Amino acid sequence: MAAASFAYGAEPALTGIDFTVLSGQAVALIGPNGSGKSTLLKGILGLIPRTIGTVEVLGQWPAPAGYIGYVPQTDQLDPHFPVSLEQVVMMGRYRSLGWWHLPGRADRQAVAEAIETVGLSDRARTRFGELSGGQQQRGLLARAVASAPRLLLLDEPFNGLDQVNRDALIETVKRLKLAGVAVLVSTHDLDLARAVCESVLLLNGAQVAFGPRDTVLTLANVQQAFGSVGVEMDEHTIVVPGHGGH
Amino acid sequence: MDVFTPLFNAFDLPFMARALLVLVVLSLVAGLVGVLVNLRGLEFISDGLTHAVFPGVTIGFVWGGRDGLFVGAMVAALIAAVVLTVIVKRAVTSDAAIAIVFTAMFSVGIIVVSRETNYVGQLDALLFGRLLTVSEAEVNQTVIVCLAALIIVGFTLKEQVFRAFDLEGSRAAGYRPLVLDILLNVAIALVVVAASSAVGNLLVLAVLIVPGAVARLVTDRLWLLFPVAAGFAILAAWLGLALGYEASVNRGVDLPSGATVVLVLVAGYVLVLVARLGIDRINVPRRTAGAVVR
Repeated sequence: MAAASFAYGAEPALTGIDFTVLSGQAVALIGPNGSGKSTLLKGILGLIPRTIGTVEVLGQWPAPAGYIGYVPQTDQLDPHFPVSLEQVVMMGRYRSLGWWHLPGRADRQAVAEAIETVGLSDRARTRFGELSGGQQQRGLLARAVASAPRLLLLDEPFNGLDQVNRDALIETVKRLKLAGVAVLVSTHDLDLARAVCESVLLLNGAQVAFGPRDTVLTLANVQQAFGSVGVEMDEHTIVVPGHGGH
Repeated sequence: MDVFTPLFNAFDLPFMARALLVLVVLSLVAGLVGVLVNLRGLEFISDGLTHAVFPGVTIGFVWGGRDGLFVGAMVAALIAAVVLTVIVKRAVTSDAAIAIVFTAMFSVGIIVVSRETNYVGQLDALLFGRLLTVSEAEVNQTVIVCLAALIIVGFTLKEQVFRAFDLEGSRAAGYRPLVLDILLNVAIALVVVAASSAVGNLLVLAVLIVPGAVARLVTDRLWLLFPVAAGFAILAAWLGLALGYEASVNRGVDLPSGATVVLVLVAGYVLVLVARLGIDRINVPRRTAGAVVR
């Protein structure tokens, strides 16, 4: 992605983005709320128009169908919707199935494997809304896995997750990277960045810094991104005054 | 024994058999489309569509009698479905936009039909249908239109469910919600058209909405929703027709058949709702315990 900007209508939401994520590697998107992390992910998906610059996924744009797996935030989903975890994960196969084709044995196999990858095999037939927040997040990750993507986009996957679910999520992302998947993950959580990401992209409506994790995650850079000298950083989290644990 | 005889005997009469056939076909399709309406929360938009189709129905009727009604309804339905989809996408508050456009459309329909001499009788038939006087040709029309709706929704069913569950996710997977929305709204409009000569413009809403709502109360399992909704609608259609016939012919109480079917649908909904609330009350302790374990 080179010198790319994204906009909702006439209002630029994110400008001057210039970075690369390689196969088998992960980039963490870090910045305050409203800094453009979700905008960047949606821009890559083609859901938000790009105003200038170039975006390429494996040298192509728009990215071919099925190249990108997307894990949205679970709080946008209706907890009463009558679908089982298995059925949600199967949705990841729909695009490769095509219109009016029903899932076959290979699809069911892929779904079962994806659910196993995230460690939820015993919950496969549970209604999605009955799963805990962390399990739903892993379920959506399984859906992305089932679509066999080359690039995986995760939007705040750690929000509201307990330690068990965090560990399960980190394990899955590590496994996908070993399989050659490129990963882009927006997060407030430095644990996640340290556990799986080689590089960090700091955002604040524009690109603040991009590079190897330990070079970029300096207190000065983070303070610039979060726009406050009161920001503190320990090895786990970024603490913004008045914003609790962010 | 005596109680059940009317449930079967009434349908020996050709006009009763035709009415039942129309309702069974309608129930099958309304079951399928109605579940999607319920999953998407499109009840209000469906209401809007029934209103929007009405001027087409009346203009067609004034021009070409009951055959014209069908053509007019088709044209109005297709236009309304596309316009509606775009309005909802563009409008800031979609409810107000729908209400304004479609009450206006409905008024146009009333004005058109009021130019006819037998105004009240015609209006009555258009709004509430003439279930017992549907002709052979109308049966065929209903079947064809229902088939079209069935094909549209059947071929895009898994994508429609994906979109209903997770709009962003389905967009990210490369589906275009506008296309899916137009297809679903066209299918809803087709059901409205198919039903307009039989159960009428106002009662069709019950056929679209109640079976889907009942299915949601009965089961949490996605692919069971569709047969449950269709089965419930067929059962209600059969009971309603038989009840209306028995009351009107043998008991001297004149029950309009379309409205009787709708009341049976609603009564069935109330029964299922009460049963559901009862079952949930019994299950509450177990569910709470489950939540604590989690």
